[in-house]
Amino acid sequence: MNKTDGKKVNIYLLIGAIMGGIILVLSIVSLFWTPYSPTAMSAALRFKPPSFAHIFGTDNFGRDIFSRVMKAIGTSFTVSFFVVLISSIAGILIGSVTGYFGGVVDAVVMRVVDAINGFPSILLALVIISVMGKGRANVILALGIAFTPSFVRIVRGEFIRLRDADYIVRARLMGARKTRILFLHILPNIFSTFWVSVMIGFNNAILAESGLSYLGIGVQAPDATLGSMLSDAQGYLNSAPWYALAPGLTIVWMVLSAAMLSEGLSKSKKNK
Amino acid sequence: MIKIDNLTISFIGKTAVDNVSLEINPGEILGLVGESGSGKSVTALTLMGLMSDEAYMESGEVTFGDEVILKAGNTPDDNLLRSYRGSRISMVFQEPMTSLNPTMKVGTQVAEQLLLHAKDEYPTAQDRKNCVVKAFESVGLHDCENLYDKYPHQLSGGMRQRVMIAMAVILHPELIICDEPTTALDVTVQNQIVALLKEINAREKNSMVFITHDLNLARRICTRIMVMKDGRIEEQGETEEIFTNPRTAYAKKLIAAVPGRRSAKAASKQKASASDEALSVKSDKSNTNRNESKILTVRDLDVFYKERSKKLFGKSIHKKVVSGASFDIYEGETLGLVGESGCGKSSLCKAILGINKDITGTVENKTIRPQMVFQDPYSSLNPARTIGWQLEEPLFALDLLEKELKTTKSWRKEQAIEMLKRVGLDESYYDRMPSQLSGGQRQRVSIAQALITRPKLIFADEPVSALDVTIQDQVLDLLKSLQDEYKIAYLFISHDINVIYRVSDRIMVMKDGEILETGDKHSVFECPNHPYTKELLNES
Repeated sequence: MNKTDGKKVNIYLLIGAIMGGIILVLSIVSLFWTPYSPTAMSAALRFKPPSFAHIFGTDNFGRDIFSRVMKAIGTSFTVSFFVVLISSIAGILIGSVTGYFGGVVDAVVMRVVDAINGFPSILLALVIISVMGKGRANVILALGIAFTPSFVRIVRGEFIRLRDADYIVRARLMGARKTRILFLHILPNIFSTFWVSVMIGFNNAILAESGLSYLGIGVQAPDATLGSMLSDAQGYLNSAPWYALAPGLTIVWMVLSAAMLSEGLSKSKKNK
Repeated sequence: MIKIDNLTISFIGKTAVDNVSLEINPGEILGLVGESGSGKSVTALTLMGLMSDEAYMESGEVTFGDEVILKAGNTPDDNLLRSYRGSRISMVFQEPMTSLNPTMKVGTQVAEQLLLHAKDEYPTAQDRKNCVVKAFESVGLHDCENLYDKYPHQLSGGMRQRVMIAMAVILHPELIICDEPTTALDVTVQNQIVALLKEINAREKNSMVFITHDLNLARRICTRIMVMKDGRIEEQGETEEIFTNPRTAYAKKLIAAVPGRRSAKAASKQKASASDEALSVKSDKSNTNRNESKILTVRDLDVFYKERSKKLFGKSIHKKVVSGASFDIYEGETLGLVGESGCGKSSLCKAILGINKDITGTVENKTIRPQMVFQDPYSSLNPARTIGWQLEEPLFALDLLEKELKTTKSWRKEQAIEMLKRVGLDESYYDRMPSQLSGGQRQRVSIAQALITRPKLIFADEPVSALDVTIQDQVLDLLKSLQDEYKIAYLFISHDINVIYRVSDRIMVMKDGEILETGDKHSVFECPNHPYTKELLNES
């Protein structure tokens, strides 16, 4: 118990930051450079096990798995980022209004939100994609819609909680306009809770995107995605296990780092 | 019997308790009095080994009889401490709602004590229940058989505190530590709880430690008092000794700052001789200009509150929280509103201010946008915004609402800084965040915020109740001087009759949503009409 001086090393934040940092670096680097081209096929290099030349080995088309993984991380990251961006902004816009005003507006909107929430996100995405077609943009749209309800709930909950706080009552007494109150007075106060849910949302988005591409309805080939790589690797589990391990472990790594970061952030906020 | 020797405790480098030694003898009630941050709670918690994880015990020893239960440098013996807690030392906390488990019936919670420490004496559940019911009766609760099965939220604050006391007493401990047990309660309930504690002390012949920041209260119950400041013992001695012959400057200051009616009367008598003429002139003025200077008229005001029915499909209950309120407020005066919590005074304010629109009756308000100062300094400032921003917001709103008035950022900043100085805070506070300010400072900022638009009417809802006595003094003086300068009328709400006496020109007494009595300060205090008023006055 190293609590004699009341300070603790925030182990979660540290590990999360390191792991997340590696992911971030890899995904940025993948924009400019990968060890090999992720799409270059070579009959001669099929199913090579991990070695110095190919860190993660090669796949059934002779493509370098590591390069594909790097690109895939980039894709995952981008898709998840936009999904969270869309759903969190929608969440703020909808949740703040319904939470603050309540009444009939709240009742109606929340029923619609509940309806969307009732669908499992993958199923919802499936429906939207089958209507609108495949492709990266549609994946982002579909998941963005699927994730909005949870953000709406969280934001709405916070606004309900803060609506009757003394300083907000005072803002009303001053005659401040409602939009001003919503966004300048209340919103800055929900950031700590909100941030944690953004991180969790990001996590879930990564998993959802991988799930969609595993099923074949996510981002399409020849773009590398972690889910589609897993799907391809299924047939070769016994002969070339590294093919499945690479994307699988990468997904675990990404999710774990996001979880660590959010745990670390909420712990450090608590200490303030 | 119980001794603390040379205790020093620090938190992340800051010393909270500085070389404190004290002794508690059997049968006595020791008062630990001090302002917030004085180290009184930490000292008491150490007696039970209940310091927080961040507290570091640098030196000291706690002895109970012949046994050393805690010593600096040694890891605390949890088993030993656990055997003491509940059975030999017990504690009554400040906030009964958070110290009772909301998911357990009150009877079961108290019975748990028996389960943990006295299983042999009370082997069956029925035995324990009987013991608990008897304990409830001994603390003055009624209908105890049924009370056993109730949950904390179904009880009033006073009742919950009695349950806490029953829990503390049931195993007949030798020492009971009471940490501000009445701070969260109303005046009348406070007095009952204090009387109960005294009775328990006499009956059980145990010792008590009574922690409080309220000197008046300590005087009523304690045999000996220790005054603490910044972690050190400033003064200690027999209760009456300290009050009649305080030795240290700090103790003198604390005693003088208590807004007691006796001291207020003495002070006003002194001032009276000097300003008798001024007073009579003032009252003449107010009589002749009465009707012209009326700024608020309230007639037959009923305030309602919609409460959702507990049943699944029941209609929402329309509850009347204020009935038939009629009164006036005149320019520049302070109307004191005194009443217990739950009597409807806050609801009255909200109705007049237009926050609660569910009302019948008339409210004629000649002032534009009256402001409010809230009770809790910790929730009345926006935690995510700088002080300066919060002070400028009312001005910004003014800008938008009144088309002729155009404000610039620099003008607003100027006004904000001027207001800060007016309430006794310097320019540097402009950029600070609320979390960096103490309770007294926050309350000053609240006042500045309320004043910055120069309203003619301010509702002050218990503005000093949450502050330490010396700070209370300063804030009340501030409010008075601002009133004189800007001719502001206050509706000053408090449950503390001494504070009301000090600040008000006229007084209103409220109970259960009704205004029982209104009148001039002196006439209400000297010849109260209503029996409830008489009761309130006697209690102080």
